[in-house]
Amino acid sequence: MSDEEHHFESKGDAGASKTYPQQAGTIRKNGYIVIKSRPCKVVEVSTSKTGKHGHAKCHFVGIDIFNGKKLEDIVPSSHNCDVPHVNRTDYQLIDISEDGFVSLLTENGNTKDDLRLPTDDNLLTQIKDGFAEGKDLVVSVMSAMGEEQICALKDIGPK
Amino acid sequence: MQGSSDRGPADLTQLQATMQAIEIACSSIQMHVNPAAAEATILSLCQSPQPYQACQFILENSQVANARFQAAAAIRDAAIREWGLLTSDDKKSLISFCLCFVMQHASSPEGYVQSKVSSVAAQLMKRGWLDFAAAEKEAFMYEVKQAVLGVHGVDVQFTGINFLESLVSEFSPSTSTAMGLPREFHEQCLKLLELEYLKTFYCWAQDAAVSVTSRIIESHSAVPEVKVCTAALRLMLQILNWDFRYNTNMAKGAKPSMDAFNDGVRHDIASPKRSECILVQPGPSWRDVLISNGHIGWLLGLYGALRQKFSCEGYWLDCPVAVSARKLIVQFCSLTGTIFPSANMQEHHLLQLLSGIIPWIDPPHAVSQAIECGKSESEMLDGCRALLSMATVTTPTVFDQLLKSVSPFGTLTLLSTLMCEVIKVLMATNTEEETWSWMARDILLDTWTTLLIPMHSIGENARFPSEGINAAANLFALIVEAELRAASASAFNDDEDSQYLQASISAMDERLSSYALIARAAIDVAIPLLTRLFTERFARLHQGKGITDPTETLEELYSLLLITGHVLADEGEGETPSVPMAIQTHFVDIVETHKHPVVVLSSTIIRFAEQSLDQEMRTSVFSPRLMEAVIWFLARWSSTYLMVPEECREDNCNSGYDHESWLRSQHSRKALLSFFGQYNQGKPVLDVIVRISMMTLISYPGEKDLQALTCYQLLHSLVRRKNVCTHLVAFDSWRELANAFANGRTLFSLHSTHQRSLAQTLVLSASGMRNPEASNQYVRDLTSHMTAYLVEMSNKNDLKNFSQQPDIILSVSCLLERLRGAARALEPRTQKAIYEMGFSVMNSVLVLLEVYKHEFAVVYLLLKFVVDWVDGEIIYLEAQETAIVVDFCMRLLQLYSSHNIGKISVSLSSSLLSEAKTEMYKDLRALLQLIANLCSKDMVDFSSDSIETPGTSISQVVYFGLHIVTPLISLDLLKYPKLCHDYFSLLSHMLEVYPEMVAQLNSEAFAHVLGTLDFGLHHQDTEVVDMCLKVLKALASYHYKETSIGKIGLGSHASGFKDSDGKFQEGILSRFLRSLLQLLLFEDYSTDLVGIAADALFPLILCEQGVYQRLGQELADSQANPTLKSRLVNALQSLTSSNQLSPTLDRINYKRFRKNLHSFLIEVHGFLRTM
Repeated sequence: MSDEEHHFESKGDAGASKTYPQQAGTIRKNGYIVIKSRPCKVVEVSTSKTGKHGHAKCHFVGIDIFNGKKLEDIVPSSHNCDVPHVNRTDYQLIDISEDGFVSLLTENGNTKDDLRLPTDDNLLTQIKDGFAEGKDLVVSVMSAMGEEQICALKDIGPK
Repeated sequence: MQGSSDRGPADLTQLQATMQAIEIACSSIQMHVNPAAAEATILSLCQSPQPYQACQFILENSQVANARFQAAAAIRDAAIREWGLLTSDDKKSLISFCLCFVMQHASSPEGYVQSKVSSVAAQLMKRGWLDFAAAEKEAFMYEVKQAVLGVHGVDVQFTGINFLESLVSEFSPSTSTAMGLPREFHEQCLKLLELEYLKTFYCWAQDAAVSVTSRIIESHSAVPEVKVCTAALRLMLQILNWDFRYNTNMAKGAKPSMDAFNDGVRHDIASPKRSECILVQPGPSWRDVLISNGHIGWLLGLYGALRQKFSCEGYWLDCPVAVSARKLIVQFCSLTGTIFPSANMQEHHLLQLLSGIIPWIDPPHAVSQAIECGKSESEMLDGCRALLSMATVTTPTVFDQLLKSVSPFGTLTLLSTLMCEVIKVLMATNTEEETWSWMARDILLDTWTTLLIPMHSIGENARFPSEGINAAANLFALIVEAELRAASASAFNDDEDSQYLQASISAMDERLSSYALIARAAIDVAIPLLTRLFTERFARLHQGKGITDPTETLEELYSLLLITGHVLADEGEGETPSVPMAIQTHFVDIVETHKHPVVVLSSTIIRFAEQSLDQEMRTSVFSPRLMEAVIWFLARWSSTYLMVPEECREDNCNSGYDHESWLRSQHSRKALLSFFGQYNQGKPVLDVIVRISMMTLISYPGEKDLQALTCYQLLHSLVRRKNVCTHLVAFDSWRELANAFANGRTLFSLHSTHQRSLAQTLVLSASGMRNPEASNQYVRDLTSHMTAYLVEMSNKNDLKNFSQQPDIILSVSCLLERLRGAARALEPRTQKAIYEMGFSVMNSVLVLLEVYKHEFAVVYLLLKFVVDWVDGEIIYLEAQETAIVVDFCMRLLQLYSSHNIGKISVSLSSSLLSEAKTEMYKDLRALLQLIANLCSKDMVDFSSDSIETPGTSISQVVYFGLHIVTPLISLDLLKYPKLCHDYFSLLSHMLEVYPEMVAQLNSEAFAHVLGTLDFGLHHQDTEVVDMCLKVLKALASYHYKETSIGKIGLGSHASGFKDSDGKFQEGILSRFLRSLLQLLLFEDYSTDLVGIAADALFPLILCEQGVYQRLGQELADSQANPTLKSRLVNALQSLTSSNQLSPTLDRINYKRFRKNLHSFLIEVHGFLRTM
């Protein structure tokens, strides 16, 4: 019962932008959902009925996992929603370049240099300060629907 | 700052300056100019030592009312704080100053200043109540009495009554002000006031009111005396609200030393009440004041006279004096107990009141018409409340007889007509707003409940007056009509505001239980009525199928199902509810069981429910909402009537019955129960119920509420009973359900928590198997497919690539929820299978934890599964199994810690960041639970190993776990109250049980534990502080005991050591001695903590005597004032020496030290805080 049901989202860059259908009623808080073609983390689910003797519908409040914007959607709970395929990979941080890119060490020993630092000042300083202090940093990169972004960092410390 | 600190006469200019400063501060607060600075100025007045002269000066001279108010407050604060330092003359002069002030300014327009000063006087008087000699109190009271009796005119009279009001409220537990004194003080004051003064105060109020009555009655417009009369009535009401406990005869035997402050709630009436009704039981000594002197007659006469005046200027239905008089009358209705020498006397008393109240409510129709035309409803509502109070103090028969003696019908008939009238008004208005008719309905419904509940519980229905039965029948018919009409009217409303839903459901539930009581009072009529209404509606549905919109009928059926469920069965609340008495004892003449009205009604509904299995009927008739009511009804009904085991039917209920009628009722009851028993209709009905449940889980996709009801209410209540399980596991329908669950995919579309519950239900049903082997096999069959999937998946090489796919995550989460559900259903006979289940996925759990380390939802499920599994299994495990499980848990903890330590989430969204924190918190809470569960192995152990077998040392394990977890717990995370609570309770448990392990913690972990302890000591939650103090007690007493027998105890942790920088680190015990003293002497804390703080302080002092001496010396040296200094030194001295305290840690000495600390703090806390 692996992936017999998956289908491809009609966005341009195929392959990476997979989403999966899932019944709205089974999506829980802390799960993921696509709202208005954006991958979101569900922060609130509530159910109500369409009229007293109608069917249940789910009201989702999601937060875009990349830009932090709040999005909402209402779906009948027996219908399917799209759920984004969210992947997270850990890389060791090798370098931060002047033009705002980071250099990361992949598992097979290559480097990955196409990821920008976050633009937000606060996040930027968290990463830069840690790096400047000479800590061994591992960054987690979150990718979904063709976008990727650093989502966490961790000091692995001296072994 | 502003207060004059020297005690001599301060010069006038300085007083002027203080007054000005306070005045400016007060007006700038009002105008919002720099409020912080203004507050600081006012605060400094309160906190300065001996500010009395300045305050008195302000009170007497300031033109700013607010300044006078603040000055009064400052007197209060300073005097309470410095009470121990004031001379007896000082105290008395402060009180008499306040009293004189209010009397002199009795006509002042600023009422709030007056009442503030008056309450300050009351508080100070209470503070000194135990110190003052009787004569001193008498002197004050003489003045007050003169005022109250009107010697100095109306204004002073009013002021005097007001003062008594503040005094009484200061002495009663719920309204008293905190004074930083132990509870015993308040209790003693309470007792003394009740015994010595309360009745006197009441008499004064009575005299004051009586003295002005004629003036009020004779005049045709408002007169100043009305104010006095209102205040006096209010004071009488307040006194009658007093929780009498010392003067009643009953109190002697029943509750000799009841704690006024713990036992604020009266337990005499346990019923779901919407409106409160307190019994007034002052005891026989009050008889002369309240009963025999015509007091009631006077009160009713006064109100009667007022009623005539409502057309006059200055009087109306809701004018203060009328309101107070009515309230007092209602209060008199709940007068009961030993004050009445005979029941006759009480009936007479109630009749007198009832005759006065009748005009408020009778004739009901005219009264409600008048209200609908704009008359105020308050008199009518008070009338209803009076009926409620009377119902509380009488039996139904007496209640009914009251009115019979003066009118052709009984009180119950009046009650029923009145309520019918109210319901008619409700039906006519039909708004969502709370109108007078809502309130009246609730009060009257409570009256019925009060009358019916005692009978319902002892089954005395036969004794309910027959006229009352008719009244109840009429009322119930009208109620059902009203509910049905409301239902069909609201059928098309869209319930969007779901947050009100929960509240309205529980209110509805309460209302329905009261309706059920009324229906059961007239059960012979109610059951056939309900059957008829159902049949009509079913017919209507069938006729109109496909032609008319059924929505209104559906909503009516919804409502009928709820009402019927309440009438037929009680909520079990976890117990097996028995058939309601009214149903057991009626219908005794039924010969053929299938014609028993209850059987007819139940069968009608079950047949209707069965139709939902038909696909076509389901789509046209059975809306999710209607189905919810059906499932709810089936759950409630089946736990009372379905397959009730023999032994439950035999319970004895022959109280109050002659043998023959008891036998007959037994027969009827047996017939009813065996109809749905296992040898009759029970099995087919159970089968239908199972098939309906399965259908709601499969054919109503996404209907979460409906499925929740099915899983939590219906199925849970079925598998709770073993005899039902025996049949369940034999049914094909049940096997189908189990099979669909274990092997199919359809049930994956259920909400995951429902899957957990379903797993639990299925595993629990294994108790119906013949023997333990079969049960274990049943559980294995259920779970093996699921565990195999997880194992296979975690063994795949490309796991990393596909694990993040949403469909895989969904499957994994669902399976984990199911395993968790199964683990929670553990019972001794299925323990083996559940252990194997968890054992087989142990490795997979670790693999999944690694793979899903970023997927909080999965990590949390993994942790919760392990927590629940360990929780259930740990006490049964043999030594070898224990070692395996413990090892597994430690690997889990380490893995989790390695993923999360030092991790920082970065996100643009603050709400996602706070989510991340919450996730962390939930994880940690789960880990703490896991450790706590491991701990329980040392407490309870059912394994077959003998104690001598070398097993795993749980204490080692737990400390190892603590080592791993504590670094993850930051002070930030401790702000989550539940985590904080769990953490400290684990900590206090471990340190109390295994103090010797502390010495083995490495210094880093130790420092972390201590840091959190420091944090916890200053926590707001007293429970947390309490646990931290227990930790300190455990540490210190362990060290003291160990060192006294020559061992090292806590070793270097206690003695202090040089850290890596060569600096000397103070030992922990002296550190905590210092901070605990600091806390006790200078900070705010609840007085409840003093006891446990003493238990911690005592061993700390014994361990660190030198440090303690030094600290005491420092404290004394910091005191400049020689009197204070010597007081402090003496107090410190007696703290460690009085009460024959000796340096051994036993119960006696702990107790002595507690006493010492209490008196020490009373002695010095006040003045130390002001420095």
